[in-house]
Amino acid sequence: MNKYTLSKRQVVNELSTFYSFLAGFLIALIIGSVILLIQDKSPIDTFSLMFKLSIGSVNSLSSSLNKATPLILAGLGIAIINTVKLWNIGAEGQIFMGAIGVNLIYINFQLTSSTSFIFLLLVSAFVGGAVCILIPAVAKVLFGVNEIITTLLTNYIVIGLTIYLVNGPWKDPGSLNFPAAAYVGKEVYLPTIFGKLSYGFLICILFTAFAHYLKNSSVFGYEMRIAGGSEMTAIYAGINAKQKAFFAMLIGGGFAGLAGGIELLSQTHRVSTGISQGFGYTAIIVAAITGMRPIGIFLVGSLFGALSIGGSVIQTIGVSTYIADIIQVSTLFGALVIQFFFNYQLKRADDG
Amino acid sequence: MSNKFLETRNVTKTFGKIKALDDVNFSLYKGKIHGLLGENGAGKSSLMNVLSGIYQPEKGSIYLDGQKEKILSPDIASQLGIGMVHQEFRLVESFSIKDNLTLSKSNIYKDNFLKSFKKYSEIFALNVNENEIISDLSVGEKQKIEIMKLIFNDSNIMLLDEPTAVLTPQETSQLKNSLVTLAQEDMKTIVLITHKLKEIKEFTEIVSVMKNGKMVAKDLATKDVTDNQLIELMMSTVKTSTVDKDNKIGQIKLNVESINFIDEVSNIKKLEEINFHVKSGEILGLAGVSGNGQVELANIISGIEKIFEGKIIINNKDVSNKGVRSRKKLNLSYIPENRLGVGLAPGVSVIDNSIVRDYFHTKLGPHLSKNKTSNFLESLIKQFSIKAPNPKAEISTLSGGNMQKLLMGRELVGDPDVIIASQPTRGLDVNAVDAIHNLLIDQRNKGSAIFLISEDLDELFKLSHRLLVIFEGKIVKSFNTIDANINDVGLAMAGASE
Repeated sequence: MNKYTLSKRQVVNELSTFYSFLAGFLIALIIGSVILLIQDKSPIDTFSLMFKLSIGSVNSLSSSLNKATPLILAGLGIAIINTVKLWNIGAEGQIFMGAIGVNLIYINFQLTSSTSFIFLLLVSAFVGGAVCILIPAVAKVLFGVNEIITTLLTNYIVIGLTIYLVNGPWKDPGSLNFPAAAYVGKEVYLPTIFGKLSYGFLICILFTAFAHYLKNSSVFGYEMRIAGGSEMTAIYAGINAKQKAFFAMLIGGGFAGLAGGIELLSQTHRVSTGISQGFGYTAIIVAAITGMRPIGIFLVGSLFGALSIGGSVIQTIGVSTYIADIIQVSTLFGALVIQFFFNYQLKRADDG
Repeated sequence: MSNKFLETRNVTKTFGKIKALDDVNFSLYKGKIHGLLGENGAGKSSLMNVLSGIYQPEKGSIYLDGQKEKILSPDIASQLGIGMVHQEFRLVESFSIKDNLTLSKSNIYKDNFLKSFKKYSEIFALNVNENEIISDLSVGEKQKIEIMKLIFNDSNIMLLDEPTAVLTPQETSQLKNSLVTLAQEDMKTIVLITHKLKEIKEFTEIVSVMKNGKMVAKDLATKDVTDNQLIELMMSTVKTSTVDKDNKIGQIKLNVESINFIDEVSNIKKLEEINFHVKSGEILGLAGVSGNGQVELANIISGIEKIFEGKIIINNKDVSNKGVRSRKKLNLSYIPENRLGVGLAPGVSVIDNSIVRDYFHTKLGPHLSKNKTSNFLESLIKQFSIKAPNPKAEISTLSGGNMQKLLMGRELVGDPDVIIASQPTRGLDVNAVDAIHNLLIDQRNKGSAIFLISEDLDELFKLSHRLLVIFEGKIVKSFNTIDANINDVGLAMAGASE
């Protein structure tokens, strides 16, 4: 009887994540095409229109990159937390909390210099995200409570809090009963670099570089990797594994909070339930596809931003926007399957 | 002793080139407690695994009640009434006691569960409700449920693999009473694997001894044999050490003063009044069957375990209240027994694992120098001839020998003053063992003080100048390896009192 076993490959191609992403994306396009063909739509026409309307002009390109900004920042936060082998499912809530942090400071303080005021608001967005993950982080390091559950649950709490704020204390009387807080003043809008491209994207580039450095070249990143590999090894090496996990979670939460702050200051300009359109969840997909690599998150996040913009405009030719979601999710699915075959090989067992 | 209930004839089981069981004949008698004695790796567990259907022997046959049987799986074994309690419990932690006891299809007390549970609770002096969840029980209580599970599954032959290893002395004597009752009243046939001579004496009527996969003595009447005879049967002869032991011995480097330690979780005293010192250029061996406090002692010396009584002095500095880092800075190296999981972090790359001890030397502020780390790994690979083709490969893709060389190399490269080496060659092949031994001898000659914890008497006699024996958390004897008798060491390890 022939038995096959899966064994881990000793050496995994360094570009394997990239190849699996490409293969996954190709699989996703094929799946998308099949669905379009079933609906009697031409895949080539649809995809080329999506392409044109998402990156074909300065304006569409800058919309795509603006859309990518929160995905990338939240994805980076997830990747940092994953260095200690923990999962952050709460980026969505942290994004909201970042926006809430901005508005809280905005309505209570006034700075004359708008540059330093914007800076202060972005810092409070980061702090907001970190505060949002504080309870899951404390529960994790003190009692070992599963962070996947707690971070997921905080999403519902924070979205509930947002609904309460925009219907209650922060409700804008001028919003004609639409549940939203008042707009922030124009003086704290994030300026644009060119076209519609916000300075938020520049911040996003800086934070990508920072996350890349933190994960790969810093002492803190090294200690996080060891703590994530084995808590016992960390203790043996004199590394406080719990402390690393705690700070990794706070920093990661802060990244997602910053995403919410930038979204508020550059796009929505007010707190409402529309601050995030599921960015925190899509960011999990982005981070997972790239194997938690910051540069990869930047690239795939940008692509997914373009896909969202492209998806929203193809409605004009009668195609559902959900085709963009299908492509995003199928890319993850395809990439994970292909990555599996990069990491493992089928071997024939000698012993029957 | 006429009615053989179970018998194995000429059973042989090999793993690769190693004969785990070599032509083994073994008999069990109805209603008797049978002791099975032997060093680690003598083949006791392999024999039990054959009887319980986990291993299939290449040669030989098994007879039950005179009838030849093929025990192809644990399921068949349990249908034949053979059950085993493994050292690691096989209970469903989230289920209740009742669910665990009635889980098996061969269960015979489904209908009158409560009555039987009460009866056996009395025999085992178990004082818990049947609806209690397993994970809420103490280790001793879980042990009782494991054995009770065999009874509920109608096993007439009960194989117990070191059941007392996890028990307190009181629990052990309680277990003895329960097993004797089971043998006498229920006519259960019980096999007890243990390293402790005292337990052989107290628990069993018959004892068999294994050595290197062979049954060297069969069906001895326990009351007629002496401790010395058993130890002589059990211990192999030690090769004469070829290592030069007349090297220069210097100042005291490590001083351990009256260490007492109580395990917080189980509330069991794990170490009692441990005192010793190791000098520069000296290898001090600690012999003992594992689980007698060695891990706890190593963790206390290295700074991992912080709550204990007593003093640890390294290089004349009292470090009892200091952490792992400051002890490393006094040039202490610790090679832990658990290679992958403590010494090395699984899921992390070779290069990351190579700098666990010294990464603070390669950092520039918050920055970890890539050049310094890869140079460090390269020099380790060269100096200790480690086969690690890709620095970024995950550590567990290396062979056991190469993992251990990387770990040893990492800990030895800075010429440490004090080295704690715990089971440094366990599970390695002959060549790797030699390589590791040479590393330790070189380091000794350079003036390190080495504390070598091992179960392997060959290794201890080969390398160490002096030898301490630990038993149930106490240093029970010390020897000079030059004139020590291996049987005396064996007796001390098995807890024989003079």
